[in-house]
Amino acid sequence: MSLEAPEPATQADVGVTDDGLDYDTLEALLGDVVIDRETHLNAEAFVVQPDRVVDALSVLKNKAGFDHLSCVTAQEYEDRYESIYHLKKFDDPTQEVSVVVPTSVHDPTSQSAESVFRTADWHEREAYDLVGIEYDDHPDLRRILLPETWQGHPLRLDADQEQPQVVPLREHANPLQEDHPGGSDTMFLNIGPHHPATHGVLHLKTTLNGEQVADVESDIGYLHRCEEQMCQQGTYRHQIMPYPDRWDYISAGMLNEWAYARTAEDLADIEVPEYAQVIRTMSAELCRIASHLLALGTFALDIYGDFTAIFMYSIRDREVVQDILEDLTGQRLMFNYFRLGGVAWDLPEPREQFFEKTRDFLDELPSRLEEYHNLVTGNEVLQMRSVDTGVIEPEVAKNYGCTGPVARGSGIDYDLRRDDPYGYYEELDWDVVTEDGCDNFSRLLVRLREVEESGKIIDQCLNLLEEWPEDERTIQSNVPRTIKPDPDTEIYRAVEGAKGELGIYIRSDGTDKPGRFKIRSPCFSNLQSLPEMAEGEFIPDLIAALGSLDIVLGEVDR
Amino acid sequence: MIGILKGMATTMKHALDGSTFTVEYPDVPPEVSPRFRGVHKFSQERCIWCRQCENVCPNDTIQIVTDDQRNGEQYNLHIGQCIYCRLCEEVCPVDAILLTQNFEFTADTKDEFAYNKEQLKSVPWYKDIDPLASREPDRGAWIGEGEGEVDYQ
Amino acid sequence: MTISETLAGALGLGAVNPLEDFVLSLVGAALVGTFILLNTAVAGPWAKRKITAAFTDRIAVNRIGPFGLLIIVADAVRMLSKELVIPDGVDRPAFDLAPLVLVASALLGFAVIPMGNGIQLADPTVGLAFLFAVASIASVALVMAGYASNNKYSMLGGLRAVAQNVAYEIPLVVTAMSVVLFTGTLQTSEIVAAQAEPLLQLGALSIPSWYAFVNPFAFVLFLAANMAEVGRNPFDTPEAPTEIVAGFQTEYSSVYFVLAYLGEFIHIFLGGAILATVFLGGPAGPVLPGFVWFTIKIWAFFLFTQWCRSAIPRVRVDQVIEIGWKGMLVLSFANLLLTAVIVGVIV
Repeated sequence: MSLEAPEPATQADVGVTDDGLDYDTLEALLGDVVIDRETHLNAEAFVVQPDRVVDALSVLKNKAGFDHLSCVTAQEYEDRYESIYHLKKFDDPTQEVSVVVPTSVHDPTSQSAESVFRTADWHEREAYDLVGIEYDDHPDLRRILLPETWQGHPLRLDADQEQPQVVPLREHANPLQEDHPGGSDTMFLNIGPHHPATHGVLHLKTTLNGEQVADVESDIGYLHRCEEQMCQQGTYRHQIMPYPDRWDYISAGMLNEWAYARTAEDLADIEVPEYAQVIRTMSAELCRIASHLLALGTFALDIYGDFTAIFMYSIRDREVVQDILEDLTGQRLMFNYFRLGGVAWDLPEPREQFFEKTRDFLDELPSRLEEYHNLVTGNEVLQMRSVDTGVIEPEVAKNYGCTGPVARGSGIDYDLRRDDPYGYYEELDWDVVTEDGCDNFSRLLVRLREVEESGKIIDQCLNLLEEWPEDERTIQSNVPRTIKPDPDTEIYRAVEGAKGELGIYIRSDGTDKPGRFKIRSPCFSNLQSLPEMAEGEFIPDLIAALGSLDIVLGEVDR
Repeated sequence: MIGILKGMATTMKHALDGSTFTVEYPDVPPEVSPRFRGVHKFSQERCIWCRQCENVCPNDTIQIVTDDQRNGEQYNLHIGQCIYCRLCEEVCPVDAILLTQNFEFTADTKDEFAYNKEQLKSVPWYKDIDPLASREPDRGAWIGEGEGEVDYQ
Repeated sequence: MTISETLAGALGLGAVNPLEDFVLSLVGAALVGTFILLNTAVAGPWAKRKITAAFTDRIAVNRIGPFGLLIIVADAVRMLSKELVIPDGVDRPAFDLAPLVLVASALLGFAVIPMGNGIQLADPTVGLAFLFAVASIASVALVMAGYASNNKYSMLGGLRAVAQNVAYEIPLVVTAMSVVLFTGTLQTSEIVAAQAEPLLQLGALSIPSWYAFVNPFAFVLFLAANMAEVGRNPFDTPEAPTEIVAGFQTEYSSVYFVLAYLGEFIHIFLGGAILATVFLGGPAGPVLPGFVWFTIKIWAFFLFTQWCRSAIPRVRVDQVIEIGWKGMLVLSFANLLLTAVIVGVIV
């Protein structure tokens, strides 16, 4: 792990000009590390030798201020393997740069970026697991999503699905390996995969020293459903859109759909009518409220025990949101409401009724939030439990690529809705919520206050929609039935999901289906920081920290 | 201490006001929006066997068999596999497919969820809701169909 | 007056010989036991569902029987017909005994509780000491369960239970001692009798000298320690379902689970009974018969535990211990000293 001291701001501005980044300056800064340059739709990409990855990334991080490794995409071409490191700045995520690391087909080995960005640990493990690129100097290069007895790498071009893919553990076991380390006075405890507090099928391999957590390691992948591969087999125009709903299935569907819609629209250069953008903004914020309410409820379950009233109250309020969303989209969770170039439906008729219903909810919201503050944040015992537990310092959080309420709870002022504007957010009046506590309590508070902000956004959207002239209500622009972007167009785009930065990388291969579809899941990166929060704390704090991370295993495992 | 008492007062207030928000399903059926997407319904009269729904379906739920004259012979739907995305309804040029409000159906085995066109035709409406009102108004042909014998309860 | 004398009076027997006394006591014990089980095993789980539902805006059981009361029958059939799974490697005698000890210890406590209308099984001069001694046997059962289950979660639960019980037993007893300073006796019937005298006369309203009114501070202390003793929120760390699954009862299924669960319920009611006896005048109360008042009081405590569950977070295990040793213990001794001085000055 490396935690470099923050660099002075002057150095972070290398290559920054008034109209974006000057990539030539950056290339000059990198010097002979760069062997080629590619142009992706979102940013320029520097091609780097597989053994110069650390050099390139540490220069970009320390000299040019690219402190956010958003995502690592690995893919196989006919003639090479490629790892792409998507870099951003926490201060200004519109400033992006990618580092492309090609490796040969015969020996796909490149240097690990883990020593520069801690978050690369899991991302590279995933790349190794699915694509089979080996990373030198990686501290722990094991499979992460697939079972350890899996044979081969499923996203390789030559992956043969007819072959048996999993062998029994017995055949896989190494007879020379000691299975119990032994000789220590700690206790090993499996928390999960079935445990009341893991919010899904997550397995925490915990080493306990008494009641204190000496070490914790997340074992994920129980809910891996090949979402990336499924998207690669669907057409851009229609077939991919239903799937984002199923990544973060905690009623955050619209936010996920927006991630795909934004990426694909930028890729295929599709315009979205303003009216549709307003509807999108409104529905996405409704989803955010629903999602945060559930996060609050389950966090309360973890702290209060299973007879707490807070869970039911938050479910009750979420139910109202879901009814509104059902009226709008026709489903309660799997909305499939966005289309490329707009949305599927206009507001339901009679519009007045819909406005009234939504307004009623917004009018109720302050008193509901007041109730939550009375029940949760004002409670001294809860404060005792959650203040100064599960602490993650901002620098550590950045290093782990934490985003969303987790980052904002650590005082990192980073919200893609404002920093990398999309939709109608720019025109509206709202604030990004941050708290400086870095602890479980701050993350909880951030979510509660974000609900308030979302309410503000929805209210403004409703006003806009109400006054929208009837003949200008275009919900979809004219989009061709088949979309075939130019071959080898690459794009990485992210939106602010309920849990953080939800990014999607697409490489087109000239057909109407993506050549590579990679999902940057915010929960995946956030969950990786759990050991930082939990080590040295008590078991209850580990559980609380996990609850405050608000992970959805569907999104972690994809 | 004040915070704890405030919290306890809040829950007691809820206990005493006697209001509940859960419903007694199935005695009290839940309200379903007109746009709700439930079990797939199919009209053979309208279908022109263009196979667009089969093509657009993201997970191969629809299977269509035609003869060499491209006349439809079978229209099968594995409803247990359907993800209710409504793409088939959306692409259908003649409005031969409609997702009803019906969400209640059970079966003992997965195979029973594979419906042929006759079964799909007699998918009942849910609680007399007319989903057409929320879709485009030109789908009047749907009304009246579907009081058949398939009972999903 | 013990129950055998009450029964003898009701049956019109004069002086009873030891044999008759023994038989009558057994009959009395059966009656009291039935009453307690009726409350804890039959009404308890139903009431708990209803109460929790009221706090959380739900409807709760209402299908089987009036107000869903017959859910108890369904529950019993369900619980008893389940397979009793005994995991590999459990320490057999201890594993089997623990649920029994848990239930027995709690039931035994009711022997010395005066329930009004002459219903009291035994009235030894060391009643209060007996009560606390018997009630704390439960911790032994928890350790047995935790250790014998051969499960790490059970182990943690058992350890937590012991640490917590030891930490809160002392303040509990010391606070009860402050009451004994007033009464000068450990006999439960005497403690109840001492609370009958009026404390204040406000017109027609006479406030009795219940020790909850005489020494509210001690009452609050005792209430808090009692909550920890019966392991309810905010002190339900030994079970802590979201942390250590179900604590000491993780591995118990079927009948054993019923017993463990029942033991918990009886303990809550015993906690309520102790509270009522020591601080709330036992069965005393206006208009209604004493026995009814006693029942109301223990149910009030049960309601209170459920109320706390709905709104108070679980305290972390180290904080539980810290509150116990650094807070409650000090406060309870301060209370004892203060009471001793006041009693010394007044008397």
